[in-house]
Amino acid sequence: MAATTDVQVKKEAAFSFGKEERSLITDPINDNNPVTVQILGVCSALAVTTLVTKAIVMGVAVTLVTAFSNMFTSMLREYIPKQIRMIVQLVIIAFLVTVVELILKAVNYPIWKDLSVFIGLIITNCILMGRLEAYAMGNRPWKSFLDGIGNGLGYSVILIAIATIREIFGKGSFMDIKLIGPTAEYPLNTTDIAALSWYTANNLLILSPAAMFLVALIIWIQRGRNRKLIDIS
Amino acid sequence: MGDILNIFIKSAFIENMALSYFLGMCSFLAVSKSVKTALGLGIAVVFVQGLTIPMNWLIDYYLLGENGVFGMDLTFLRFIIFISTIAALVQLVEMAVEKFSPSLYNSLGIFLPLITVNCAILGASLFMITKEYGFAESVSFGLGGGVGWALAIVAIAGIREKMSYSVIPAPLRGLGMAFILTGLMGIAFMGLMGIDPAAFK
Amino acid sequence: MHSTNYIIRFTIVMTVIVAFVLALMVSGLKDVHSENEAVYNKKGILSAVATQLGKDIPAMTNAEVQEVFNKQIEQKVINTRGEELSPEQVKAATGGVSSSAETLDLAKEAKKPEAEKLLPLFIYTDDDGKKYTIVYARGKGLWDEIWGYITLDSDMNTIVGQAFDHKGETPGLGAEIKDNKNWYGQFTGKKFYNTKGEYTSIAVVKGGVKDPAHQVDAISGATITGKGVDDMLRKGIKYYEPYFMKNKKTDVN
Repeated sequence: MAATTDVQVKKEAAFSFGKEERSLITDPINDNNPVTVQILGVCSALAVTTLVTKAIVMGVAVTLVTAFSNMFTSMLREYIPKQIRMIVQLVIIAFLVTVVELILKAVNYPIWKDLSVFIGLIITNCILMGRLEAYAMGNRPWKSFLDGIGNGLGYSVILIAIATIREIFGKGSFMDIKLIGPTAEYPLNTTDIAALSWYTANNLLILSPAAMFLVALIIWIQRGRNRKLIDIS
Repeated sequence: MGDILNIFIKSAFIENMALSYFLGMCSFLAVSKSVKTALGLGIAVVFVQGLTIPMNWLIDYYLLGENGVFGMDLTFLRFIIFISTIAALVQLVEMAVEKFSPSLYNSLGIFLPLITVNCAILGASLFMITKEYGFAESVSFGLGGGVGWALAIVAIAGIREKMSYSVIPAPLRGLGMAFILTGLMGIAFMGLMGIDPAAFK
Repeated sequence: MHSTNYIIRFTIVMTVIVAFVLALMVSGLKDVHSENEAVYNKKGILSAVATQLGKDIPAMTNAEVQEVFNKQIEQKVINTRGEELSPEQVKAATGGVSSSAETLDLAKEAKKPEAEKLLPLFIYTDDDGKKYTIVYARGKGLWDEIWGYITLDSDMNTIVGQAFDHKGETPGLGAEIKDNKNWYGQFTGKKFYNTKGEYTSIAVVKGGVKDPAHQVDAISGATITGKGVDDMLRKGIKYYEPYFMKNKKTDVN
């Protein structure tokens, strides 16, 4: 279900940033969202969304990898032998993912430990292969780079939205800062409504199936607003 | 022997790749519209997973590890090597199937390229490393994981076929409902967590 | 279509470039990685004395962790007979891999037979000079291994701090042993020995605690992880018994 973006390659300045370029970034965030519309990259959307911090790190990692893999593939697109195209693309992606992993391990070790295999699984995030095939193989590097940023951001937005709901209602915190639910100062039975200490964290939201329901909810809202996206089959 | 069987049961049911870890969701959601195609993809996954996991284990142990032929820690090349092995093996399998059994190729062939980017395969390879399995264990883990994934996609496809008769709010039709179903199946599979794997020893 | 020759050349050039860049990055970042790893492990140990230390462990910087560790923590490696081993002996027993408690391969030690097991032990001295003993136990949860550092008062009996961790328990269920302060906080004040001096360990029980000195409430939905913690403490802390007998101060009771 990879969407094909029919942008023709015109003769133009290499680094312009006009309306067309802007739409490369804004389209994937909403109407052509990789997760909810193109159903790409769902796997990691579920596992890393228990905490907002994790989701942000994952979003940044994926955005960097999509942007640069798109750019490199586009730069090499005339030199890549057609017969081994797929392996070459995968090696480019795997290379970038390893670079991101090494950097993350140096910058924030606990998060690296927490994400464990899911950083490696960025490689098989279908958004990457999907964009390389549908866009980068036929467009200039700069535009491919922007397309990568756009799709990475579209993915991050969904990830962060899901993580926000899961963390606030499942753990009672936002980015590890306690928001609602009982604390040491306000135990469960205090009558102070402002502290929201009556709230008991909903454990279901921390379990991975909850992410499935939340994605479904987002799809429902999005397709309800934009009837063009409704699945007719 | 008991351990090997134990790992098989555990990876097929309790730690189901699709419904406990939600891996391989892209193809899981895209190909689960009918039981027949789901079964085709499922078999292909069992096949590829059963081959690639032991293969990657051998490569990791004999080439990348400190005990390997190069005698140094090359584990930073893991991602690249693993994904290349998977892609290469998938392509080899595709060519072999095309040559020796055209009828099987017709039913299975279209799914093979999809499998390369199936996170369940790479995921299983990476899990095999973090779980520190031996060779025999990784064979069992690969096969079990594949069988579990195939089982899950066929089950979902079965439900989705029946769903086509029900009235669903338009925006939820298709994809939205598939997400909800998978979530519910995931919760159902959590019930299997209580199984004591020691009972199979 | 490209010729086979071209494909081979392309592959070789790409492989060399990729491998070279990665190798360069790995060797460049190696020191940072190993320091991060060491600090991460140290933070794991320090979490068991978080209340005594009075600091937010995850927020500590690398330098702070190293300083506390160097000044206030004393490391020992002991065997199951309660004898302290010298760094040379540890090195010989682990095949040259480690020489101190913090670098022991604890997963490997857990699998060794009892007579050969090496046990890590840390002694934390607080600002007033009071000493706490940190012991370690490892066991199996639902999915994979679980482990914990337990801080004991000088009577070698009462728990004053604890930190559990796990390799892959279910978030929201089994993973609560690490994440839920209300749960692991229950262990503080529990005792390993009953009033007669018998080893009773601390049980994780369902449906309400009946013996407040030796029981904690289980996490609902995580029966097997709870049993794992129970089992881990019963077996794992028992290994330290000879050491406790030699070093406990009875005057606290």
